[in-house]
Amino acid sequence: MSTPAGQIVPPCEASHADPAGELAARLRTKYATRITGELVVPAQAGQYAPLPDDLDHRLAEALRGRGVERLYTHQAAAWKTVQAGSHTVIVTPTASGKTLCYNLPVLQAALRDRHKALYLFPTKALAQDQVAELMALNEAGDLGVRAFTFDGDTPGDARKAVRTRGDIVVTNPDMLHQGILPHHTKWAQLLECLRFIVIDEMHTYRGVFGSHVANVLRRLRRICRFYGSEPCFILCSATIANPSELARELVNDEVVAITESGAPQGPKHLLLWNPPVVNADLGIRASARSQTTRIARTAVTHGLKSIVFARSRLMVEVLTKYMKDAFDRDPRSPARVAAYRGGYLPSERRTMEKKLREGSIDCVVSTSALELGVDIGSLDLCVLNGYPGTIAGTWQRLGRAGRRQRTALGVLVASSLPLDQYIIRNPEFFLGASPEQARIDPDQLLILLDHIRCAAFELPFRDGDVFGRQDLGEMLAYLQDHGVIHHESGRWHWMADSYPANSVSLRSVAEGNFVVIDTSGGKQEIIAEVDYSSAPDTIYEGAIYMIQSAPYQVERLDWEGRKAFVTRTRADYYTDAIDYTRLRILERFEENKGKVPPLSTVAHGEVHLVRRIAGFKKIRYYSHENIGYGNIDLPDQEMHTTAVWWQIDPHALDAAFESRLEALDGFLGAGYALHIVAAMRMHSESQDIGRAVGDGNAEWFATVGASGRGQMRNSAGDAIDPGQPARFTPALFLYDNYPGGIGISSPLYEARETIVAGALQLVNTCECAHGCPGCIGPILASDEVRGFSPRQMAQRVLRLLSANGEPEIP
Amino acid sequence: MSLKARLSRLQSQAGGGCRDRNKGIAGTGLRTRLAHLRPERIHAQAPSGGHAMPPDELAHALRGEICDEGLVHIRRSIRLAEQPDSLILRSLQCNPGLPGDAGTSGLRCIYIDTETTGLSGGSGTLAFLVGLAFVDDDAITTRQLLMTRFSAEAALLAALARLLSPGDRLISYNGKSYDLPLLMTRFRMQGQEHPLGTLPHLDLLHPVRRLFGKHWKNCRLITLEENLLGIRRVDDLPGAEAPAAWFRYIRHGDGSQLARIVEHNRQDILSLAFAHSLLARAVERPRDFGVDIHALARWLAETDESAAIGLLRSHAGRLCDEGMRLLGQLSRRTGNWKQAVSVWETLAANGCVNSLECLAKYHEHVSRDLAAARRCCERLPRNAAQGHRRRRIDAKMEAMKNRLRKHPPAESCLPLIAGRIPGQGTLDPDT
Repeated sequence: MSTPAGQIVPPCEASHADPAGELAARLRTKYATRITGELVVPAQAGQYAPLPDDLDHRLAEALRGRGVERLYTHQAAAWKTVQAGSHTVIVTPTASGKTLCYNLPVLQAALRDRHKALYLFPTKALAQDQVAELMALNEAGDLGVRAFTFDGDTPGDARKAVRTRGDIVVTNPDMLHQGILPHHTKWAQLLECLRFIVIDEMHTYRGVFGSHVANVLRRLRRICRFYGSEPCFILCSATIANPSELARELVNDEVVAITESGAPQGPKHLLLWNPPVVNADLGIRASARSQTTRIARTAVTHGLKSIVFARSRLMVEVLTKYMKDAFDRDPRSPARVAAYRGGYLPSERRTMEKKLREGSIDCVVSTSALELGVDIGSLDLCVLNGYPGTIAGTWQRLGRAGRRQRTALGVLVASSLPLDQYIIRNPEFFLGASPEQARIDPDQLLILLDHIRCAAFELPFRDGDVFGRQDLGEMLAYLQDHGVIHHESGRWHWMADSYPANSVSLRSVAEGNFVVIDTSGGKQEIIAEVDYSSAPDTIYEGAIYMIQSAPYQVERLDWEGRKAFVTRTRADYYTDAIDYTRLRILERFEENKGKVPPLSTVAHGEVHLVRRIAGFKKIRYYSHENIGYGNIDLPDQEMHTTAVWWQIDPHALDAAFESRLEALDGFLGAGYALHIVAAMRMHSESQDIGRAVGDGNAEWFATVGASGRGQMRNSAGDAIDPGQPARFTPALFLYDNYPGGIGISSPLYEARETIVAGALQLVNTCECAHGCPGCIGPILASDEVRGFSPRQMAQRVLRLLSANGEPEIP
Repeated sequence: MSLKARLSRLQSQAGGGCRDRNKGIAGTGLRTRLAHLRPERIHAQAPSGGHAMPPDELAHALRGEICDEGLVHIRRSIRLAEQPDSLILRSLQCNPGLPGDAGTSGLRCIYIDTETTGLSGGSGTLAFLVGLAFVDDDAITTRQLLMTRFSAEAALLAALARLLSPGDRLISYNGKSYDLPLLMTRFRMQGQEHPLGTLPHLDLLHPVRRLFGKHWKNCRLITLEENLLGIRRVDDLPGAEAPAAWFRYIRHGDGSQLARIVEHNRQDILSLAFAHSLLARAVERPRDFGVDIHALARWLAETDESAAIGLLRSHAGRLCDEGMRLLGQLSRRTGNWKQAVSVWETLAANGCVNSLECLAKYHEHVSRDLAAARRCCERLPRNAAQGHRRRRIDAKMEAMKNRLRKHPPAESCLPLIAGRIPGQGTLDPDT
């Protein structure tokens, strides 16, 4: 159980020495140049409320049995809104006792009225934890409430008991989508009495996944209405910028947000740490791995309990080895260092969690597996090996240290990835910024269509029904045209010999994922899956495909069969597809002209895009030099989607650049930087957004050619002289990289000024000389020698794009 | 642009129609392209030229009648007296008995099979055709209920419920996991009460699997018909094509395939009734039907061990090793040690380790012939358990020798050993 509310604070904590604070001071003096930013969050005292009067006495007894005499104020507030029947979302930090916010009303309803509840967790491990915790409270009060998990691991003969006897069923969205809703009649007993739907870790339901989950919830509520129940939603989330909005989108209803935490918090120090530069010209720094190990070793030596977060399972193993080499050399003494990640057996993970809670482990190295609410007791130090990708995720991981009223230290060690370097060089961005917005678009046409199929299978639609914000009648008519639905006497019946939920994955938009098959040594083993949309530029023949940073080479791509055959390789290079993307602007939804004089225009609208993946570059590790090219023979990719684009007034452009070629270089570099910043701002993966430079009329487009300079090509892909087109108004596009869009470009347009300013700052503050993968993209070594600086051109373009067009600073 | 046009365009861009990917990609105007966009993945076939058949015409063609709006009821009987030469009709019984059938003798057997709109189940799959067969002393009657439209489902289910009464017993083929749960789902979707959960139900697939699973290539109904009933269907439309046949009628009024599905379903329930009778015969005369004797004996033994032993003994010369082992096991359980030992000895001679072990246990614990136990033990494969056993027997032999030396046996000791109740296998400390 996470910190029980009202637990007595150990009295002597404050008077004790402050080991985490001391370590922070030591690092600060010794490595001042590596620390680019620092933040101190002061301690916060707990705010309490008595147990509610209307709380069932059995439940109150159970709480007292667990040492809980009073509630935190946010727990009491949640109780009040839920008892008033409002959908409620609770947004408070890690370890603030969120689970009690939903367990109390759920248990009360189960005790008093035999009402039932459905819990949704994004992962199986969390679901298991939750049942264990519920059971602890249940046993403390001898409440007799039955909670079961229902997931892929539930044995067939146990499923019936779960369906018919569970008061609380704990599952995940995928199981709800494929296992429960299509068979809802078997779940009638649960659904008829369903009073609460609990959604924990709500912030994980964003982007494509969140859009699908919102539709699964629409289906669930529809089925509940069929059984005459109208359940109340209780959602919990880590800190994000727009919790009520996300909750409202997910449950499609008004939701009351509780955001003031009453849980006490010890003071927190956060250091942003950049490994020292090894080669300034190439922008190469010492590895994050060695820095992370150094910091964690110092901490353990000084008796601090530490957690290290790494971004891959492999890195977890590597860091664990380094730490064990230092502290667990003697096999006779119990281990002080442990690894924790997905892929371990559940029993092994439970043992590890227990050891962590007991404090017998000094350092645990983990993937994001420990980021979500698994209880691991109190820790002093959290080291992040690399930026987790989002501000919210970073805080969530940092929250793992200092759970119980004691100074905690967090260190974010940047890797050489562009995003990390941006964050670390702009500490005020990270430290001052509110966390990201979590965006979903439940009415994305393809996603919505998938769920309308599933919903029609579950229960025929009637004329006039509403499902989502698109015209349901027209969507159903479309499905009827395709022969899977039949309209008869005012109802739309599913009419196909198939089970639609099976072909809909909650984690993607496109159909027909590719499988990656390892054929090394004559075997045939599936080692990965690649989205349809990212297949063309990741698994072309000759590509180096990375799994856990182990390189595989694609030998053959079976496009029709959706298979890529790969073998293990030891290549010292990676590959980067060269794509020629032609965009044609179809419709402008909105447009904003820059201030007087109108230097630049930014617009948002629908575009038609044709991508040809023409070839690929081989890029050597570390030096990032091109060491060769290969051809790719793949069909063109075609897509209609939404985009944001920037254009510069031709006169201003002429005045700013000596040649069109220079301007092109500037646009390409600026696009690279904008892409980095946009992905970060939009809380999305960088492949969710695409970028392109062209005239917006599919007549010409620009790419970085073999020379490392911008090249202009016509619609056939042939290089043309930049001086050739009569008009020269290049446009820089950032687009939603999914057919139909997934709702990124609209908020991107809203945030246009921040994004341009962020990109400009990224380029301005980069420590490279002429450009590097951290700012405007890799450049050729020859440019370094010549002194040509694509970076300067990019700066110029970005300055023109920023609304006030400030003069260039020499 | 209409929503429909946008949808079909997006679907094809999301990988829905990869085969057509190379066509029509040239960067022409959007409107022009839309005109060229063919609807993809259309399931509906064009009507096959035949005219659309209204429900009453369909009912007539199927020799049935409209009994409710959109619901066709087809009732047909075969009088047993009309075909006195048919072996299969002659073998038909009203209430055939199978092992473990005690308590079902007064019940009326109803054979049931459904045709559904999909084979994967789920709440969107419905049973558009339900067939029942009833056997009387002089006739076998089939009643089939066919929906000609979605809205007739409520009427179909109500009619089905009316045909069933509390004294009935349902007999199906794979109905436990397929037909019955599906029908129960349909009753729930229509908000109707139903008796299905309370009626006794026998799924013939299970006994068929037991008795013939090892000998037949599979246990599908078709295979059952060929091997047990000696029937080979002519011009049968496989059940897997049922969904398409019904959809074809719903979309285009084309009932040609539907008639074949109705016939297929009728054949299924008739076969079920015959198979039930013939299974009862096969249990009585297993050798004539090629029944797996071992499997039948195991089945019998669940309710009647002596019947199982009788069956095994009557096939003594032809039993497989498993059958022999079962005979040994049953003999031991019923205290017939003599028979058990003779079975084990035969098996042990063929190298059956398990039987050798049984013999060693028997000699050590029951007959107390330690020398014989030691001999059996010697023939067992060397492993930890064997070593343990050998040492234990040796120790016992040693102790016996010492005892005999000190206290020569009195007459009164012997009955103690002989009078020991042969155990339920609990005699042996190492089981």
